[in-house]
Amino acid sequence: MIIRKRVKMAAMAAVSSPRPHPVTKIYCPSHPDAVLVEDYRAGDMICPECGLVVGDRMIDVGSEWRTFSNDHVGKDPSRVGDAQNPLLNGGDLSTVIGKGTGAASFDEFGNSKYQNRRAMTSQDRAMLTAFREINTMADRINLPRNIVDRTNNLFKQVYEQRCLKGRSNDAIASACLYIACRQEGVPRTFKEICAVSRISKKEIGRCFKLILKALETSVDLITTGDFMSRFCSNLGLPKAVQIAATHIARRAVDLDLVPGRSPISVAAAAIYMASQASADKRTQKEIGDIAGVADVTIRQSYRLLYFKAAELFPPDFKFDTPVDKLPQL
Amino acid sequence: MEAGSEPLPLDILITNVVCVFRVRCHLDLRHIALKGANVMYKRDEGKVVMKLRRPRVTATIWSSGKIISTGATSEDEAKIGARKCARCLQKLGFQVRFGAFRVVNVLAVCSMPFEIRLPDFTKQQRPLASYEPELHPAVNFKIKPLTASMQIFSTGSITITGLQNSCSPPSLIFPHPKPRSLLPR
Repeated sequence: MIIRKRVKMAAMAAVSSPRPHPVTKIYCPSHPDAVLVEDYRAGDMICPECGLVVGDRMIDVGSEWRTFSNDHVGKDPSRVGDAQNPLLNGGDLSTVIGKGTGAASFDEFGNSKYQNRRAMTSQDRAMLTAFREINTMADRINLPRNIVDRTNNLFKQVYEQRCLKGRSNDAIASACLYIACRQEGVPRTFKEICAVSRISKKEIGRCFKLILKALETSVDLITTGDFMSRFCSNLGLPKAVQIAATHIARRAVDLDLVPGRSPISVAAAAIYMASQASADKRTQKEIGDIAGVADVTIRQSYRLLYFKAAELFPPDFKFDTPVDKLPQL
Repeated sequence: MEAGSEPLPLDILITNVVCVFRVRCHLDLRHIALKGANVMYKRDEGKVVMKLRRPRVTATIWSSGKIISTGATSEDEAKIGARKCARCLQKLGFQVRFGAFRVVNVLAVCSMPFEIRLPDFTKQQRPLASYEPELHPAVNFKIKPLTASMQIFSTGSITITGLQNSCSPPSLIFPHPKPRSLLPR
């Protein structure tokens, strides 16, 4: 943060011209009425009419110290305080007394005499804990920074509204994470969020609905294609199989072969069909583990897809196992 | 919103009427549990559950004298059941005075003769309908003029909850918009 030295605005001195000057005392000798322009880079006051530099080094907005990229990150002499998180904390500008260095600041047991008690409001503390929790959860599934920021914003909005005050903060944080992923267009299943959170799927689902009502937003419906790339790469399937599975799932939904089935079950069944038709076969159990779907569910959805298997595959798919030889469960 | 464009003979069956009433006196639950017939004593929750046979209702009795009765299939039946329950308690020796009878919730079930495409339906009915396939396979649709809600399944079955009385269902089903699809199977 750069300290900006304010120019002391002098009171309007006795000015001869009928129009009052702006508050500075200096003016261009050839154009007394011109309003001087600040060049903040060099700290000059320049007359806009003739370009004369009237005041030199009036304001210096440059940094007081120079910092280089290979320097210690911890010692930035240009900073006077912690990096603020003003969007999320309400701008805490309090300062603290630093740790003592000399021998006099420690008592006989080696503890420091001045106990640095940072008094934060309980609200801020709760929010900071939640942000830390969100960070940990997002870190476990490698979510990018934009989703984490969005989650933090959602949490702040929900927390300030105080509608969900009775609910556990962790549950609200998990639900916010789920909503943020959805809003960014890369939805995660509830089970995936459950895996990184200590809250049950039921509670996250409840908080999810409550948050949508509290913030009066809605989210787009999940589609089968949202999960294809993640599930397929976790299973180690080649791109052709992924494309085939996406195609199968989309066709199945268009033809309405799987009414009422969750898109994730349909996606899992599509991946199963595509992988069984290619050289990289995967078992139902493996797919079920990755997708968080029971293998009986995959079996059910697969049976519905099996009837029209020939129509579901993309036209340019290379079959390792032909359609009629696909496993019939 | 095409109201009544298809004159479908829909059967709306009321499956459950929940009502509350008071007997205006304190009840000794232990006494009811020991002497009463067809009762279950739930001591941890502090209530007695009495099941009646002829209007098939289940009454939950608290010691304060407040009773909730569920399972009736019509409002009249609910009242009869409630009175029967109060009579049973009277026979057990309590100074019962039947009062404050109020129907609290009516559940109804309906079935469409066609299947419904839930994702398309939800997209059209955005603020009123909410569909989370991961959480529940039905769409939750809020009926605006009443504070009731419907659960719409893809098979065409519909469950309506939150009604205040059993007279409202027919009027609310038909203003129901129809961006549904008939599936040729």
